[in-house]
Amino acid sequence: MMRKITFANAINEALFQSMELSQDVIVLGQSVDNKSGIFGTTTGLHDEFGSDRVQDFPNAENIMTSTATGSALAGLRPVIIHQRLDFMIYSLDVIVNWMSLWRFKSNGKSGLPVTIRAIVGKGWGQGPQHSKSLHAWFAHLPGIKVAIPSTAYDAKGLLLESIFGEDPSIIIENRSLFSMKDNVPEAPYRVRFGKSIKRRNGNDLTLVAIGDMVPLALRVAEYFKDNNFDIEVIDLRSASPLDHKSIIDSVTKTKRLAIADPAWKSVGLASEIITFVYESLGSEMKSNPIRICLPDSHTPVASSLESKYYPNEEIFISSINKLINN
Amino acid sequence: MLDLNHENILKMGKYSSLSLDNVNIDTIKSLYKFMYRLRLCEQSLIDEYHPADEMKCPVHFCVGQEAIPAVISNLISENDYLFSHHRSHGYFLAKKAPMKSLFAELYGKETGASGGIAGSMDLSMPSVNFYAGAILSGAIAIAVGVALSNKLNKSKNLVFAGFGEGATEEGIFWEAINYASLKKLPIIFICENNKYSTYSPQLKRQLDDNISDKVSSFGIRTDKVYGNDVISVFKTINAAIRDIRYSGGPHFIEAYTYRWNGHVGPENDDLIEYRSIKELEIWKSNDPINILEKVLMNKKIISAEFKSKMIDEIKLEINNSFKFAKNSNFPDIDNIEKLNLSTESPLADLLLKEIDNNEFDANQPDAKLAPF
Repeated sequence: MMRKITFANAINEALFQSMELSQDVIVLGQSVDNKSGIFGTTTGLHDEFGSDRVQDFPNAENIMTSTATGSALAGLRPVIIHQRLDFMIYSLDVIVNWMSLWRFKSNGKSGLPVTIRAIVGKGWGQGPQHSKSLHAWFAHLPGIKVAIPSTAYDAKGLLLESIFGEDPSIIIENRSLFSMKDNVPEAPYRVRFGKSIKRRNGNDLTLVAIGDMVPLALRVAEYFKDNNFDIEVIDLRSASPLDHKSIIDSVTKTKRLAIADPAWKSVGLASEIITFVYESLGSEMKSNPIRICLPDSHTPVASSLESKYYPNEEIFISSINKLINN
Repeated sequence: MLDLNHENILKMGKYSSLSLDNVNIDTIKSLYKFMYRLRLCEQSLIDEYHPADEMKCPVHFCVGQEAIPAVISNLISENDYLFSHHRSHGYFLAKKAPMKSLFAELYGKETGASGGIAGSMDLSMPSVNFYAGAILSGAIAIAVGVALSNKLNKSKNLVFAGFGEGATEEGIFWEAINYASLKKLPIIFICENNKYSTYSPQLKRQLDDNISDKVSSFGIRTDKVYGNDVISVFKTINAAIRDIRYSGGPHFIEAYTYRWNGHVGPENDDLIEYRSIKELEIWKSNDPINILEKVLMNKKIISAEFKSKMIDEIKLEINNSFKFAKNSNFPDIDNIEKLNLSTESPLADLLLKEIDNNEFDANQPDAKLAPF
């Protein structure tokens, strides 16, 4: 049975169902037990499951993540929630120096089923300290799975997969997607890491879109259809592991590649995707690749600057036109 | 009563207050044996390290600091967890992990505790709930998480976290103290204050030698103990465990002790002249093994024969451990990337269905922008 629910509702449902399915699932984070419900994603959990399993936490992201690590070691399945991804930087030591290498240094004998939900702010002057995404950083790190769901269906499935999997995972949630709806199964289901999804078929260009660039990419693809240019839109979904095969299959057909990534342009995920595609198909390509990303700058607050900072349909269209005309 | 701190301990000079009290004789003998075993283990590794150069990883020896691991070994249960920092060998043996697995790990062999992957600093043996790591204070913080799990599950298991005084400068240490006291977690923090963090003395990094005072201001029970008096350490940690079992945790113990060797490696680092020879000599004169042995011999609890037989057994174990390590194979891993992530997800397989969907409608507005 499927029904249309929002991205936020889907996350809430995943948390409810996982906590019902297993006593080992606990939720940690600042204000996760309040009626505010972290934008509706934790609403009702505390009432249902109590303070032991849904815990408000001191302003100490480092110990929060270490506590999750230790509790995972002892058999629990903790979910950490950061209301802004920027706050989780406090916990980089435990992510980088402990969690990511834990399985490795135990020679594969010990794993940590820790799930981190990190929310990326956007708009209304969130500014430089409330809008970072950093998925390229985390995807670069061995031993951590990274997902960037763009639909309610993917948000629920990836969260459940992460909670009941055996690796530390970071799920990056774009705040601006929270009210968008999609068909979501009622039952608990999985969306596996390492699998992108083709949202739209096309023959002329492979446009790999990430996170909140996906709806934009799809709308832009509609525009170009009316102009006789057929864009294949692939929703990356999983930054690590990354679905090389599906992207290469697509570009083998289209011979053109564009990436739309809601992150700073340089040294990012877009560069990575272009590289592995061109490593295989470089000599066959019909055009140079293009990257539609944020500028290499922190995020300004002034609305005049903020509206220019995030790529809109016009920027997509002009970038793709440049690709076509070359 | 001596107000315990490094300055007073040095002024005291020779320590002569070791008293057996009512501690069980078998317990005392086992403490003596453990310390001797750890000492000979460390010294054999030190002697063999160069020029053989087959143990190709940094090793942080704990010669002189045997009393604390000895006591832990006696009091810790199989299901308890023990977390340690880089100076890991005493704790490894305290958790009753096999000596041969330690040696093999130092030699980088596949039979090592971590298959040769981790070395001395990051030693772990999940099967005995032992975990070490070299990033200062990180292991303490993870230990807190295990204690949380134990509390939520109403388990009687305890968590021990061993670290040096240097670890108390990291922010996460205080985050751990705050959280452990807030949640009354069943965890024993054991701070081996050996005065030095690599080459830097405590009072160059901290205003005062008063870690226990600072910790107790968070509402945690603290005890200071002369860390080379193994009986005193035993009574302190034993009482702490009783406290936790009876009225919940946490408990913080600061044990003053001293390392004989350099920070890392078998070499002596006194060439750097960061500490005085006199200071080292005073601590050596209070060798935890000697100060106990003297009393045991005087009271005829042990004899020269007992000692000699004990040493023979220990040496046999050490020799066998060397043989085991040297004869074991190096790991041969085809695709090292595979070691970093799991290959299976049995619980997800069991609980989650495969239901596809690809009907997302992009023609809907983004979330309304808001202050938060």
